[in-house]
Amino acid sequence: MTPWQPLASAQVETTLLALKLAFLVLLYLFIWRIVRSAARDLRLPQESMILAPQQAAAAGLIPQPAARELGRLVVVSSPTFQDGAAFTLDSHPLTIGRAVNNDVSMPDDEYASGRHARFEPRRDGVWVEDIGSTNGTFVNGIRLTRERKLVPGDVVRVGETDLRFEP
Amino acid sequence: MGARALNLSYRNRELFYLAVVGVLTGLGFASVYIARQSEVSWGSLGYALFFFALYLIAHLVTRLTVPNADPYLLPMAGLLTAVGVTEIYRLGNADAFKQGLWIVIGVGLYALALWGLRRDYRVLEQYKYLFGIGAIALLFLPRVPGIGTTVNGARLWVHVGSFRFQPGEFSKIFLIVFLAAYLREKREALAQARLKDVGPLLVIWGGCMLVLVSSNDLGSGLLYFGIFLSMLYVATARLSFVIGGIALFLAGGFVAYEKIAHVHERVTIWLHPWTSTKVYCPSTGGLALRQDCESYQLVKSIYSIGNGGFGGTGLGKGTFTTTDGHQLIPYVNSDFIYSALAQELGLIGAAALLLVFMLFVARGMKIALQADDGFSKLLAAGLTFGFALQTFIIVGGVLRIIPLTGITLPFVSYGGSSVVANFLLLAGLLLVSNRANTHQ
Repeated sequence: MTPWQPLASAQVETTLLALKLAFLVLLYLFIWRIVRSAARDLRLPQESMILAPQQAAAAGLIPQPAARELGRLVVVSSPTFQDGAAFTLDSHPLTIGRAVNNDVSMPDDEYASGRHARFEPRRDGVWVEDIGSTNGTFVNGIRLTRERKLVPGDVVRVGETDLRFEP
Repeated sequence: MGARALNLSYRNRELFYLAVVGVLTGLGFASVYIARQSEVSWGSLGYALFFFALYLIAHLVTRLTVPNADPYLLPMAGLLTAVGVTEIYRLGNADAFKQGLWIVIGVGLYALALWGLRRDYRVLEQYKYLFGIGAIALLFLPRVPGIGTTVNGARLWVHVGSFRFQPGEFSKIFLIVFLAAYLREKREALAQARLKDVGPLLVIWGGCMLVLVSSNDLGSGLLYFGIFLSMLYVATARLSFVIGGIALFLAGGFVAYEKIAHVHERVTIWLHPWTSTKVYCPSTGGLALRQDCESYQLVKSIYSIGNGGFGGTGLGKGTFTTTDGHQLIPYVNSDFIYSALAQELGLIGAAALLLVFMLFVARGMKIALQADDGFSKLLAAGLTFGFALQTFIIVGGVLRIIPLTGITLPFVSYGGSSVVANFLLLAGLLLVSNRANTHQ
């Protein structure tokens, strides 16, 4: 911590001016670089921050999108539902499990957890994800360790329930 | 400056900008040091190196946990805290040391939050009511006898031993998590405005507003109201909610102006800070010019900004004390740090700071746009709106665009809870950003 040497007052003024200029120039260069990258983003197609396209369309704010049905989950075998019953996947996520607060609730499935799995429509398709079940979620017999994109014909097993994904 | 030309990955770009921030911190500290002692010493560089090392740790944790997150947010937060701590150091060494400790705690919690939620932060969605009730409980904490403390007429502090913090800062984040989870689940029902679905929302939000208004914390009240309205709009796209909300706010504001003396005083100070004749002064009970009494702080802050001019006095050379050593602006390092910075950095530097705030908000909005699922979108949008509104409320107040209400300038102001809460906010944005970028 030894000071180098005291500066004369004229030197102090010059040094401070130089430091101030350097500080401001560097600050604006920093900002300029980030603005540049943000400007690049503006040229990309814009997406909406609004969650509810239906209501916005009704209010005339955005053009009506085509009704989006992203696929169906058809029951193959289940202790709760009849075979062939189907659940439609639209633009919001669908949770499945034994508890009643799921979008698809299956109280009779002893092997399903309260909140078992989530189907989530995204831009590139429908993804399935295990949300902390005890017995696991299986796609075509393979246990999910991470979320996975579904392809038509995939069979998802939740507890003792088998669901087939159809476009 | 060839970060992109070299085609760096996100994290290397972040490291590059952090190095730039490190140099900026060094320049700032050196300037303050030289102005004060007329000599160059290693001490000034020590501070800069310490902060650079701290941000290096934050960067490494970010690299390990959220490798695909936005690369600009952490350097911008670093820049804002560095500028803040430089100015706080310039105004008083002891506070700068404490602020430094709080930044260390903030970075620590930031790292913990990233590490704990690195797999899937959406587990938070399951605990939404816990967050909602937690938000009210935290706001209510300062009222509990024995641990609550009143500072400047507002009972916002909690002290445990010698450790003091403002739970309201964390309550804001809790409320945003609650709103994001709740609105994601109920947005269709809410768009039809059925009372059954609106109920829990009104209870938790109304509870927050009640506690805030009754504890005279108007700045936070405004902030919570704005966060609520903007998130409701993002969730439902119903412009009528926003118009109704603003109408409600104006009506409520008018009633408060008429009925609550504290609010009336704030508006009067805002509209007429100077008087040429002596008026009643509530603090002494006698007569005084308003600029010497109620609006003393605001007027001195405006003089401070004016003294800065275009180019500023330079870091370390501004005037903040009278010749006999009294501080000119009370609470200059927390609520009024913007006017201190505007004096020393001038219009050009203060504008640069506001640009950094705006860019931070722009990155946050972009993350909300990119996010795939409703919870993430609402969370990112809510955190960003909260950050933007808080900046607007305090800078607008200091510049006399809106009535002044005491609230901290994010990352810059002196105040431990604020710094720590803002690091958690940053962690939230980076988690959402990482997820959105990973799935593209």
